[in-house]
Amino acid sequence: MKLKFLILSILVLLITKSYSQEKVYYNQTEFGILFGNSVETWNGERDKRRDFSMVTFHGVKISRHHVVGMSTGFDQYEDLSVIPIAIGWRGFLGRESKPQLIGGFDFGGGSALFEKKEVTEWYESWYKGGVMISPSIGVKLPAKKGKTSLTMSIAYKRQELGFFMGYFDQGNNSQPLIRSRLLPGYSSMTETSYLFHSLVARMGFSF
Amino acid sequence: MACQDEVSSTYTYRAMVPVYLAMSDVRARQIVIEPGQDLENPGKIYIYGDYLLINEPQEGIHILDNTNPAAPVNLNFIPIQGNVDLAVNSNMLYADNFVDLLVFDISNIRSIKQVERVKDVFNHMYSNSDTGIILTFKDSVITSEADRGFKRGNVFFTNSSLGFASNFSGVAQSYGQGGSMARFTLMSGHMYAVDDRSLRVFDVKDPARPKHLQNIDLGWGIETIFPFKNNLFIGSTTGMHIYDASKPSNPTKMSVFEHLRACDPVVVNEDYAFVTLRSGNNCWDAINELQVVDIENLRAPKLVKAYPMLNPHGLALTGDHLYIAEGRHGLKSFNVADVTGIDKNQLEFLQSMKSVDIIPGPKSLIVIGPDGVCQFDYSTPYKLKPLSCIDVKNPIVV
Repeated sequence: MKLKFLILSILVLLITKSYSQEKVYYNQTEFGILFGNSVETWNGERDKRRDFSMVTFHGVKISRHHVVGMSTGFDQYEDLSVIPIAIGWRGFLGRESKPQLIGGFDFGGGSALFEKKEVTEWYESWYKGGVMISPSIGVKLPAKKGKTSLTMSIAYKRQELGFFMGYFDQGNNSQPLIRSRLLPGYSSMTETSYLFHSLVARMGFSF
Repeated sequence: MACQDEVSSTYTYRAMVPVYLAMSDVRARQIVIEPGQDLENPGKIYIYGDYLLINEPQEGIHILDNTNPAAPVNLNFIPIQGNVDLAVNSNMLYADNFVDLLVFDISNIRSIKQVERVKDVFNHMYSNSDTGIILTFKDSVITSEADRGFKRGNVFFTNSSLGFASNFSGVAQSYGQGGSMARFTLMSGHMYAVDDRSLRVFDVKDPARPKHLQNIDLGWGIETIFPFKNNLFIGSTTGMHIYDASKPSNPTKMSVFEHLRACDPVVVNEDYAFVTLRSGNNCWDAINELQVVDIENLRAPKLVKAYPMLNPHGLALTGDHLYIAEGRHGLKSFNVADVTGIDKNQLEFLQSMKSVDIIPGPKSLIVIGPDGVCQFDYSTPYKLKPLSCIDVKNPIVV
């Protein structure tokens, strides 16, 4: 995963360089709110999620109406903080000096690197990142002077995450059971996968 | 928005699953000798002439040709359900088969025949002796899935996993270390089998026809039995029992040397008993030490000296040389001619040789540990020379 991102960033840099004669760099940075419905609680109730989200997209114009690049940012899902890293596309409809419609698509992964691995005498646990997909649609309102535009967008964001918790074998079982799904050293394991569906409303600027 | 977050969990845990078997079914199955099989999880090892007989707990017995200890050859496998121990008496192999004792003629190792079944001698295994149903436990890994999400699912599973863990350790104790395992030893035409609380005496003067004589109640937590000069030294979690077996059919208790609750294998020579105490989950809150007990007067054994150890498991004594399996810490050897200065007479400490048990054979010292079943040339006691290791599929973790 990391290697793929490294290759991609080199690729993006190369493209940036090859287009450096013209003004090709495009940045779109937005802040907003993630909306979602969390999982049913034990008594059948559903909580609404409303958390902070930000995204910053850096790309290069590959044609008049298309930009490709990378995006990163910060998403909060209740008590979990996720750093999304993705490759993305932005497409523009309309004349450049006028308000434009923006279509976007980001595909990548979310990393739970802010969630600390917990290790105690009895167990250890950690979060694992997962796949992120986010199509979006928005508007770009250019300022009267300069290159900066105001942007507003609505996006859907699908984020997968994993959680692992393993209780250490306290010496009751000296023999690991081979051909079993239990990893050596644990007496029990819980593997949980999360899938968050969110609607994102964001506002920011681009240049 | 209609879309809702999704959470699914898989919970994987280890458990002892009860298995009920009808003894009539077990007895109806013909035991067919199989070709040699890989060692998976070796239990008791028995040296018989040029052969090694290695128990695969609950599964049967491997027979290996150990004519050349540097290159043992896996010959064949006797599949015996519920088997945990064995002994050989004049070409007759005794093996437990749940509640029964089986006798095999192994005079021709390539043509082993079952010659006798002594029924209902380990009858403590019956869960219902009227219907002939036995209860055993199978060590299993179970995976359960919950796709109806719980918010932050780990809170729920944390509690349940602790519940399972404690259940499991409870079961493990009644099954493993101090459990229903029989331990066999032969002396003066009799076989003695100890389980967790009793001593069973068999007359084996006719090797092919063992006769069950009696059960002697020993208390509880019995682990090992060591015969020496018409005496039986029985190690339990609370002490060492000494029985006089000069009348072999009716051993009588002479004394109990009590110590802290611990796992405690015992070896004995003319004057002293060497007992290792080790801490560990099944062994309560013990200390790690080697105790030397003066047994000149068998009716009043007394502690000579205790030496701190790291985590001693099994031990072996040959002449003046004592070998101690120190678990994950390695293997130690001592000269014990001077029992008051054993710590000053350490010969070797092989830290890479993790070990749990040691058997001093006529040709080699057999060491059991995470690397499998390894053999050493110990003709020079202060310098062990590795000969071979038999690979084990599922080696012990120390």
